[in-house]
Amino acid sequence: MLNKYLKSSIPAAKNLVKELRKNYDYVSILGSEVLTKRILVGTANTSLDEVETECGFVIKVYKNGRYSEYSCDDIKNLKPSDVKKALTLKNPFTSEFKVKMLEEKEHVEDFLREDKDSLSNGEIIKRLTAIKDDMHKNEKVINVNTVYIKRQISKIFVSEKKCLTQKYDWINAMLMVVTRDKDNIKSNYHAEGEASSLKALNGLKKASPEVLDIAVRLLDAKPIKPGKYTIITDPSISGLIAHEAFGHGVEMDMFVKNRAKAKNYVGKYVASPLIDMYDGAAGVLSAASYFFDDDGVEAHKTQIIKKGILQTGISDSLSALTLGTVPTGNGRRESYKRKVYTRMTNTYFGKGKDKLEDMIKSVKHGYFLFQTNNGMEDPKNWQIQCTASYGLEIKDGKLTGKIVTPVVISGYVVDLLSSISMVSDKVKVIGSGMCGKGHKEWVYVSDGGPYLKAEAKLG
Amino acid sequence: MKIQDIIKCLKNNKAISDYQLISTEKDSRELFYVLDHLEINRAVKVVSNVITIYVSNASFTGSSVVTISSGDDEKSLNKKIKEAVKKAKEAKNPYYPLPDKQESIIEKDDKKYDLNDVALKVAKAVYKANKYESGWLNSTEIFVSNVKSRFFDSKGTKHITNGFEIAVEVIPTWSNNGEEVELYKYYETSSINYDEITKEIDELLLNAKERSVAKTLKDVKLPKDIKVLVKNDMLQDIVGNTVNDINYRSLYFKENHYNKGDVVLSQGVSLTLKPVVKGCSKSMKVDNNGIVLKAAKLIKDGKVAKLWGDNRFAYYLNKEATGNIPVIELDGPRYDYSKEKHLLIENFSAPQLEETNGYWGGEVRLAKYFDGKKYIPLTGFSISGNIYEDLKSVNLSKEDATLPDYKGPKYLIFTGIQIH
Repeated sequence: MLNKYLKSSIPAAKNLVKELRKNYDYVSILGSEVLTKRILVGTANTSLDEVETECGFVIKVYKNGRYSEYSCDDIKNLKPSDVKKALTLKNPFTSEFKVKMLEEKEHVEDFLREDKDSLSNGEIIKRLTAIKDDMHKNEKVINVNTVYIKRQISKIFVSEKKCLTQKYDWINAMLMVVTRDKDNIKSNYHAEGEASSLKALNGLKKASPEVLDIAVRLLDAKPIKPGKYTIITDPSISGLIAHEAFGHGVEMDMFVKNRAKAKNYVGKYVASPLIDMYDGAAGVLSAASYFFDDDGVEAHKTQIIKKGILQTGISDSLSALTLGTVPTGNGRRESYKRKVYTRMTNTYFGKGKDKLEDMIKSVKHGYFLFQTNNGMEDPKNWQIQCTASYGLEIKDGKLTGKIVTPVVISGYVVDLLSSISMVSDKVKVIGSGMCGKGHKEWVYVSDGGPYLKAEAKLG
Repeated sequence: MKIQDIIKCLKNNKAISDYQLISTEKDSRELFYVLDHLEINRAVKVVSNVITIYVSNASFTGSSVVTISSGDDEKSLNKKIKEAVKKAKEAKNPYYPLPDKQESIIEKDDKKYDLNDVALKVAKAVYKANKYESGWLNSTEIFVSNVKSRFFDSKGTKHITNGFEIAVEVIPTWSNNGEEVELYKYYETSSINYDEITKEIDELLLNAKERSVAKTLKDVKLPKDIKVLVKNDMLQDIVGNTVNDINYRSLYFKENHYNKGDVVLSQGVSLTLKPVVKGCSKSMKVDNNGIVLKAAKLIKDGKVAKLWGDNRFAYYLNKEATGNIPVIELDGPRYDYSKEKHLLIENFSAPQLEETNGYWGGEVRLAKYFDGKKYIPLTGFSISGNIYEDLKSVNLSKEDATLPDYKGPKYLIFTGIQIH
């Protein structure tokens, strides 16, 4: 159910919109409550906390060609004059430029998607403890952390023409295993993201033996010899490439700032013809599957690349307005305390026709890369950096058993995507990611795709 | 809810052994520019009240964190506290006590800046550097904030501290024959120095100019074992990792690489943690457990002289609690690299450091190679090394830098780093 306090704030929000409209040409109010329960069961540490929990409002107003926003905890006792006072700039330092005013269509709707398999704290602790204890049966394991996080998100969006509410839940379950052999320390992790507590915890249990196996094998891992190799990426690394290459690269607030090279490549080849790529809160059910964005725009599914050709970008309302395009429901805030930007949601490559076994068989010498560590984009110059936690060597079509860590993929985005020569027939989207814009503004995202075979510079 | 009402509810619940309440009040003004036009201005006036509830007996201490939001009234607060007590009872960790009552730190709130006025002056200082024909600031974000923190606990400790922060995110861009390149910078400070801001932004624009004419590794022949200089984020990550490694928490979980007496840095280098350093925006007089912080010298002559950490893990290891001290000060013999060939890394795509295996490096967006006579800008290559090996022979530059949680040499100078 939608949070009671937010629901009870709707009349106050409608009234505040009415009052502020006397001074401003456009007014909207976003109310947001995020309840986050985190249960951690570790080797020597157990905690049950509410973290990243918050409740508040952001008021957006428009006048004289400029938008202003006021973030606060409560609107029931807020005077319109307080908003006006805080947002009035005496002699603003700016060149003459007028941003257009947002136009909205009538929309009143309530949306709901809740965890149907909720579990008690005791049951969650029991399941996490069992996984942790299993890991400790191996003597190389020195530390284990198992984590369950449930985020319950309630939002309201109120303007003259809109009154929207949504409540949805997302659950992550994570396992991190640290192994040690004298001074050699390594770690491995796995994360599940599901709309159901039971599915998330079951998924974690199923994955845990392999997490342990790799954590132990990593003790024998060597650094990779830098060079150019044939690679096969697992869905997590495929997703990371999608995210960094043409996720950030097509965020259309970057088009407004002329910061994205992609702006000039719509309709042109940017990848192998085997590649389709999508983003959207409505694309798949995953970590960023909301019903409407923080601009009050309904969730979309956007095809970014079709058969290697760049189709379109993704946008928040204001960027779309400036560019004369249709908003794609990608306006997101880190919290009610922060500004809205164009942000990715669930970003993934589409499936192909190849079998993974055939892909491995086709590699003369290269690496099978696993597990997202981190990545960085460069939308202006299309450089890319993606780090995989580890790689398995392939020689003459077979895995040799040799393991390397970590592996950094770098290079020019179009070179990397154009080199994709095989795409597997199954897609997996991993709903446990977070994404920053620049080095801040963290939001929950998912990414994924099929297994991909490509040529890449590794270091 | 008022703080007094929250404390009253906490005191009325007899199942609670101890509590800590941190209330943070943030008042900020923000300006968002596209080129030189102001697209959005924002005001943020928010309060966050976070309570940690402890339930202890002789053998265990359980805790649970709960956040009180604007929607809470007395009834929902009592419900949340009751639930947190239940959770704390389920979080059975080995017993540890809370810090004893600390001497109160009560800071006067005497710096009453007009935040909109300061933000606009920062904008003017930023755009004063925007004077080049082929280079410009593509977008700029300015954040100016007053932050008031209040700490209360069941032992009777009470602190009130005030912070002031300026943060600027800029994207400098340079065009060379129609081909545009850009760089990224997030600049933070706790001091108002408009000239310094202009200087920083000007340096960034000139770096973007360098990137626009940068060559690749194919165009130059770097000497073997060239000295590699790193700064800013990478430097903070490297030094911060060393400090974290000798934290009681790492020791307790057996994830540490070093212990007391081990060689960590090169000979003569010292590292001290300090609560407050001028210009460092992460400065704090007290930590999140209310401990009044003092300086702690952790590394002396390159060797670990002292371990550090909060009261919980200090108690488990039977050591003295230093608290969580925020600022690192590094010092030692300085090295003059200016006459010899070297590679100065100005900007990484994303600096990386893996604390478990020691890998550090990343893809370089802009570096400057000094060939003995002049600097040649380079781009599109990567560097990598192992921090647990490389730091033992690190040199410190003569120039100094003040970063959000660091004061010391501007560059760490490494030898034998892989460049590829």
